[in-house]
Amino acid sequence: MNEAARSFLRAIGAPLGAIALTMALGFLLVASITDEPVQAYRDLLFANFDSLGNFALFLNRATPLTLIALGVIFSFRAGVFNVGGEGQLYAGAIAATVVGVFFADLPAVILLPLAVAAGIAAGAFLGWIPGVLKVRLAVDEVVTTLMLNTIVLLFTSYLVNQVIRDTSAYGAVSRMVAKSIWLPPMPGVPGATSGFLVAVVLALVTWVVLFRTEWGAQLRAAGINLRFANAVGVPANRRIISAMLVAGGLAGLAGALYVLGIGHRFEQNFSPAYGLVGLTCALLARIHPIGALATALFYAMMLNGAAYMQISTDVPRSLVNLLTGLLVLLMTARLRKSGLRG
Amino acid sequence: MDIQSLLASVLEQSTPILLAALAAMITLRANILNVAVEGMMLVAAFTAIAVGNATGSASLAFLAAVAAAILMSQLLALLTLRFSADFIVAGLGINLLAAGGTLFALERFYNSPGGLRPPSFPDVWHIPDGSLSFVPFLGRILEGQSFIVILALLAVPATAVFLYQTPTGANLRAAGEDEHAARSAGIRVGLMKALAVGISGLLSGLAGAQLAMDKLHFFLPDMTSGRGFIGLAATLFGGGLPWMTAAASFLFGFFGALGDRLQAFAIPSQFVLMLPYIAAILGLTFARWRAHRRNRPARLPGHQTT
Amino acid sequence: MTDNDTILSLRGIAKTFGEKVALKRVDLDVRRGEVHVICGENGAGKSTLMNILAGIHQPSAGEIVLNGEPVRIPDPIAASAHGIGMVHQHFTLVPSMTVAENLFLGRQPRRLGLFSDRAAMVDRARELSLRYNFGLDPNAPVGQLSVGQRQRVEILKALAFDAKLLILDEPTAVLTPPEVDELLQVIDGLRARGRTILFITHKLREVKSVSDRVTVIRHGESISTHRTADVSEADIARDMVGRDVFLVGRKGDGAARSFGAPVLKLDRVSMTNSHGRLLLDAISFDVRAGEVMGIAGVDGNGQTELSEAIAGLMAIQGGAIELCGRDVTRASVAERQEAGLGFIPEDRLDRGLGVTMSVAENVAATNYSRAGILRHGFVDRGRLDAFAASKIKEFDVRGAQASTPVGWLSGGNMQKVVIARELERDPALLVVCQPTRGLDIGASEFVHERILAAADRGHAVLLISSELSEIFALSDRIGVMYSGRLMRVLDRAVADEATVGTLMNGGEAVAA
Repeated sequence: MNEAARSFLRAIGAPLGAIALTMALGFLLVASITDEPVQAYRDLLFANFDSLGNFALFLNRATPLTLIALGVIFSFRAGVFNVGGEGQLYAGAIAATVVGVFFADLPAVILLPLAVAAGIAAGAFLGWIPGVLKVRLAVDEVVTTLMLNTIVLLFTSYLVNQVIRDTSAYGAVSRMVAKSIWLPPMPGVPGATSGFLVAVVLALVTWVVLFRTEWGAQLRAAGINLRFANAVGVPANRRIISAMLVAGGLAGLAGALYVLGIGHRFEQNFSPAYGLVGLTCALLARIHPIGALATALFYAMMLNGAAYMQISTDVPRSLVNLLTGLLVLLMTARLRKSGLRG
Repeated sequence: MDIQSLLASVLEQSTPILLAALAAMITLRANILNVAVEGMMLVAAFTAIAVGNATGSASLAFLAAVAAAILMSQLLALLTLRFSADFIVAGLGINLLAAGGTLFALERFYNSPGGLRPPSFPDVWHIPDGSLSFVPFLGRILEGQSFIVILALLAVPATAVFLYQTPTGANLRAAGEDEHAARSAGIRVGLMKALAVGISGLLSGLAGAQLAMDKLHFFLPDMTSGRGFIGLAATLFGGGLPWMTAAASFLFGFFGALGDRLQAFAIPSQFVLMLPYIAAILGLTFARWRAHRRNRPARLPGHQTT
Repeated sequence: MTDNDTILSLRGIAKTFGEKVALKRVDLDVRRGEVHVICGENGAGKSTLMNILAGIHQPSAGEIVLNGEPVRIPDPIAASAHGIGMVHQHFTLVPSMTVAENLFLGRQPRRLGLFSDRAAMVDRARELSLRYNFGLDPNAPVGQLSVGQRQRVEILKALAFDAKLLILDEPTAVLTPPEVDELLQVIDGLRARGRTILFITHKLREVKSVSDRVTVIRHGESISTHRTADVSEADIARDMVGRDVFLVGRKGDGAARSFGAPVLKLDRVSMTNSHGRLLLDAISFDVRAGEVMGIAGVDGNGQTELSEAIAGLMAIQGGAIELCGRDVTRASVAERQEAGLGFIPEDRLDRGLGVTMSVAENVAATNYSRAGILRHGFVDRGRLDAFAASKIKEFDVRGAQASTPVGWLSGGNMQKVVIARELERDPALLVVCQPTRGLDIGASEFVHERILAAADRGHAVLLISSELSEIFALSDRIGVMYSGRLMRVLDRAVADEATVGTLMNGGEAVAA
């Protein structure tokens, strides 16, 4: 076996182990609930492919997950532990919605790019704050991104409830964005957003940027060893801030594409913790963009499949939430014991 | 609305935050940013209602709640300290597991994903009205508060004494500040960290129990709604010092109480509810800025080396 | 020699970490009340040996005999119970805690079985400090003490638990010359009080005056033990290396060599820290093309700051730096590289390399466009690997492929990667800091050859080193730094070790 193959296996071994362990624990749980654990698991994983409609919903789940995971990859590669995906996602979604609602009279050729740009900009702004604070003052980015998540959630709650609420609808949802800027469905899969194609293309672009450009090499150098990066003439601080702008921008784009392609309006709580799950996908993929596309698809499969599982067997769909927790808990663990005495 | 009843409600609202903050503070002193307080609180709140519903005993419910949170904390300790999982990722995993697990239990065992509202629920002990009338001013604030509030107030000096006046506390701080030094002094660093996480589990358990058992007597999915993170913010704002952390908790609790009241004046509550989080970011930034000014590394304009 | 004279005997101690053999076979006898020096090169196994005695590691084979009894030392607590006290090279003190708290860390006296007995700690700390004349304030936070004071806290920590055998691991490495003198007095005093001291160092010179015997360790084996008075430094050096040491040196007569125009010019360069202390005090000198300018000095006298100021990593508050005729005082690192700077930092792992990145990415880090690795603006993987492979061959980087993480290499091979990267730009000025620190002799020779070859090709070289032998072997001119000042610049032809040594300790040399 050559070295590349061996290092590839080493890289995916631990995440695969965490997934396998989680799925096995989940299976035991399911087996204790229902007489048809195999049926339940089949639905959880493969009911997505039973019909075109199911498949479309599955792709719609995968789109924001992929984009957020890509953003997380940029920030992590630059050495920033960005857990702010959720806030950046909400910021992007609300910004696109506000533009789409208030400037509905503009022609689509202007309004659509404007709404997307607003989403990206809002997310990027939210990435910029922790980036600058970390670089200039060494403020811990975990804290700032965590806090910003809640701030943004509260702010969007204010906007959707008090400013752009659709009073005719039930629940905290905004007015619809102009129909002219709804994204077209994916060719061949009605009901699936074409935003998924954007996510796939961006996964490839991310890989090229990170691993096949000097800019990407500098960004990774800054993330691996800041003092080394400075010594070899890399403008490390600028690279880190750029990485956070891109990270926030990608999560913001995820929000904008969700609104324009799937929801067509801002819904409070539209995200089943996409931010954290996207982070999970990125980490499971060992912060590799192509791998993250795969893990995002896997996760979308489970998130979506849970509904079919609940219908066909009596296993609650929140099984998936529980499994997500388990997986996140387990995924950075090493089998090698470190020992309490260290 | 008189000042004493406002303060009484601030005290009641601040208690879960105070306990969460102390929980995060203990681990912070062991050099662990504990983001799992939220999840441990949630598990405690659920356990309290579930056990209280099943047994009709307030004490059993309380003890089970605290035990459940400690159990979660030790799961976290096991994975991070023994299997070297990342503390923040695993902590977020605890939160997801708590949210998912309680929701799963609601659906599976109670068939009600919306929450668990027992028709009757045992009351915990509260300070009887009028029993503290001999204490001027403070008496009326404390009357009617649950015993968990009293425990929380006692927890502030208790953690301070533990950290600064006991050998174990000193070992814990040493393990947090300089692992190498602690290890060569024969301190079992992993054990100290596990202890810190365990204490934070205990305090988070108290926080969750107070939240569910004091007045509400029901459980809702995600009912902690970020109080664990406000607690973390208070700890960071208070610089990891017990009394400062307590002060920040009361300040943030005051914001919360204010948010409820301001809604009546058409000021959006969201902005008031944001204040703790904004305060945490600003407080942390300010602290770093001062440290930065004090020993500013010599650097080139636009080219600093951090 | 009777058992009573010998406090500690090691019999055939070996230690392996996985496949790596750290200690092959070490035999050692330490007599009661002596100062015993253990000498060895970096990587010879000194630290492993000491960690075994301190209870941090367990030996894979062999026997430790303490006071005539075979013992096991499972942990640091057991070590101190056996009367072994360890003073680590990297201090094991908690900065925010007071001297007293640090002294009793992990074993505080208790009140009511539960609380710390602070009064007792402070009293005992004060009494100890007085007894050994250490002059330490028990209530001062350790973070506010000087390095020398901290070391005394470390020593006191060992003495507080009645250490009969005190192990000092490279204690002089972090001290300034006056602090070294104070330390030697402390050691002398301890010996006078009947303590046994085991002194680990790779610089015999510093401790020769106080030591009784010396044991040399090489490649994990104890080679020889001598009375210090009976051996010369050259004898010890031969034992340490295993052969006569041949130092690469400047060939030919230095005075006859002609140099080009100044490449680097420093004009009254000054740097202060935030407390207003002068780190660099109006330093002026220049380095000419084809010349090796050596900067000697004890670590911590401003050499690091000087190199980082020239490299553009720290800002200066006064003066000017000129590189190849361009004023680069305010220029960024990248701009300085463009102007002709090559920089080999003193710490490979900290500044020199991204250890988890591949050899290819490290060696290419500053050279993407220069080495033709980019095609249409994108990294061409084939060209990157080819470039790395050519450098691996040219610089004899052993055990490396283009994709190997650079952190997997040995220190010497890592240093070769750094040198390969920095020489690729063919820099007019090469700033080289502590280039052989932690390297074995073979790698050191290679590095020295490369530095001299660069000078012979007409590069200006600024060599900063605290190893006098290195400075003397390579330099055309020698500057000496002390306390942020450039004391004097001497021509190699007229410089001798005594003069430079005096200047390094802050003294004015009589002869120049």
